[in-house]
Amino acid sequence: MSALTLKLKAAPDQRLDLSALSPAKMATMSQSEIENLAIGTGRRPVKLGDLFAISGTPGDTLVIDGATARLDGIGSELDQGTIIVEGDVGAYAGRRMKGGRLDIRGTTGPYLASGLRGGLVLAKSAGDLVGAPRVGERFGMMGGIVVIAGDVGERAGDRMRRGTIITKGRFGPSAGSRMMGGTLWTETGFGAGPGPLMRRGTLIGPSVERLLPTFGDAGLHDLNVLRLISRYFSSELGDLAPKPLPAKVRRISGDLATIGKGEILLTA
Amino acid sequence: MPELNPVTSKPIEINGITVDDTFAEAFGMTGSSLIITADTIKWARICATVVTGFGTSVIGCGAECGIDYEVSPNDTPDGRPGVRVLMFGFSPDALTPQVKNRVGQCVLTSPGSACYNGLLGTEQKIALASGVKFFGDGNQTAKKLGNRRFWRIPVMDGEFICEDTVGMTTDAVGGGNMLILGRDRTGLLETTEAAVHAIAQVPDVITPFPGGIVRSGSKVGAKYKGMFASTNDAFAPTLRGAAKSELSDDTIAVLEIVIDGLTSAAVANAMRAGLKAVLDVGASKGVTRISAGNYGGKLGQHHYHLKELV
Repeated sequence: MSALTLKLKAAPDQRLDLSALSPAKMATMSQSEIENLAIGTGRRPVKLGDLFAISGTPGDTLVIDGATARLDGIGSELDQGTIIVEGDVGAYAGRRMKGGRLDIRGTTGPYLASGLRGGLVLAKSAGDLVGAPRVGERFGMMGGIVVIAGDVGERAGDRMRRGTIITKGRFGPSAGSRMMGGTLWTETGFGAGPGPLMRRGTLIGPSVERLLPTFGDAGLHDLNVLRLISRYFSSELGDLAPKPLPAKVRRISGDLATIGKGEILLTA
Repeated sequence: MPELNPVTSKPIEINGITVDDTFAEAFGMTGSSLIITADTIKWARICATVVTGFGTSVIGCGAECGIDYEVSPNDTPDGRPGVRVLMFGFSPDALTPQVKNRVGQCVLTSPGSACYNGLLGTEQKIALASGVKFFGDGNQTAKKLGNRRFWRIPVMDGEFICEDTVGMTTDAVGGGNMLILGRDRTGLLETTEAAVHAIAQVPDVITPFPGGIVRSGSKVGAKYKGMFASTNDAFAPTLRGAAKSELSDDTIAVLEIVIDGLTSAAVANAMRAGLKAVLDVGASKGVTRISAGNYGGKLGQHHYHLKELV
C-alpha cells in the first residue's frame, strides 16, 4: 500500500477547499501537478504546494497531517481509496462521497458526510447537520455509514433517505429532522426534540432529552429488525460497531405532523 | 420410457451390486433459494417444511422444492436458527409466482418467521416482496442495509421481515436420478433412505419427493388422453410378464431418487454420494442393481453416467 502525505506547514490565512484531493485522482498526477492544485477560496490564489509539505508516493491512501478547522471539503466525491486526516477539519468533509474510507481523527465542522452516497466516514466528534443536504437540495444522506466516536451537533441526518449515522456519544437537538429513511443510532442518547417532520426512518438510542408532542408512545416491542441491524453493523464495522441492541425496545412513532412512519426506538 | 441397458452396454459389479452402463438424463431448470429463520429451529423447520410442501414435480406442483440444509444462527442475517430451502421451476416466469405465492401463504403466516435471500450474487432476481409487502396495507416500511433491502411488514406477532429480492439462476439442473432395485422391499427402502441421507449432506441440492424417494417412476405419455405421464411399466414388478420388463425375476421393488441442484456439479456430487451409500450398504439389504432413467440422451442437456460416478 502506497500513501501520499500532505503535512500542513503553517496555519492558513483563509479557508481552504480540499475537495479536489482524492487518492485515485492524485495517483494519476505528476508531482508538479499535485503541487499546483488550487485550493484557495479567497482573492489570493493558493496552491497545494504553498501550504503543504508533500511526501510519499501517490496510491490508494492519502494522509493529511496537521489539519485544522479551516480545511473544507476533504474527501468530497471520494469513490475509492482511503483518506486519513490527523487533526480537525472544516465543513463538508466527505460531501457526496460514493465509496472508500474517510478517517478523520479529530473534530469536524458542519455538514460532515453531506449527501453521502456510500463508503465509510469516521470522525472523533462532529458539528451540526451531519449528512444534511446543502440548501436547495432534496435529499441528504442516500447511503453509506458514518461512525462518530463522540458527540454530534444539531440536526444530524436532516432529509436523510438511506444510510446510517452511528455515534458512541450523543446526538444534538433535532436529530433526524425531515428524515425520509435511514438510521441514526446513539449509544448515549438524543438531545431535545428528535425527528421534527420525519416521515420515515429509525432513531435508536437509550434516551431522549425531550420528545416532540407530535410523537406517540407505541409501547414495548420485540423487533426482529433490530437483530438484523445489529448483525449487519457488527459484520460491517467490527470493533467500530455499537453494542448489539436488546431484544425489547420502546417504540415512539412519529412525526405524526407528517405521515408518521418514522420511529424512535428506546433501548433502555 | 427411459431406455435402459441397450445391448451394447457393459454393466459392472461393485460390492455384489450390478451398476448399469447407463446415465441419468437431466434438464436445465431455473432455481432459487430462501433462508427462513424463526425464533427456534423447530419453527424454522416447520415453516421450511410447509413452504416446500406439494413441491415434488414441476408437472403437477408448479415447482420442485425441498430443504437444502439447516443454517446455524451464526450464519443467518438475523442471528436466529434458519433453514435453507431450494425451489426449482421450468423457467423464470414459472418459478417466480411459485416462490412468491409460497412465501405469501406459508412464510408470512408462520409465527416468528423471516425470509431472506439464500442465493446471493446472481444477476437474475425474483422481486420476492413485491406482493407480500402490501399485506402491510400501507404500514410496511423498508430498511436498506448495505445493498440489501428488507421489508418490515406489520403482523400480529410483531413484524414479518422479508428481503426485497432473492437470487435466481437458470444454470440449475432438475431430474438427476438413480433407480435402486432389490429383492427385499424393506431392505431396499432402508438402503434408499441411506442414499437420501448421504445426498442431504451435499449442499445446493434437494431430493423433492416424499422423504427424498419416489416409488411411482413414470414413462412419458399414456393410453389415456390428457395423461402426460403414466406408470413405468418396464420397472413395475407386478407387470413383469404382462409388459416388456426390465426387471429380473427376483426383483421385488424399485425405488428412485430424483435430484435437483443449483448447478450441474452439485447434482453430480449428490449422485456420487447417493451411489456410494447404496454400494456401501445395499448388498446386505437385498439391493441387486442400480440403474438410472434417461430418454436416449436427446431431451436433457445433462447426462450423468453411473460408471463415472461410482
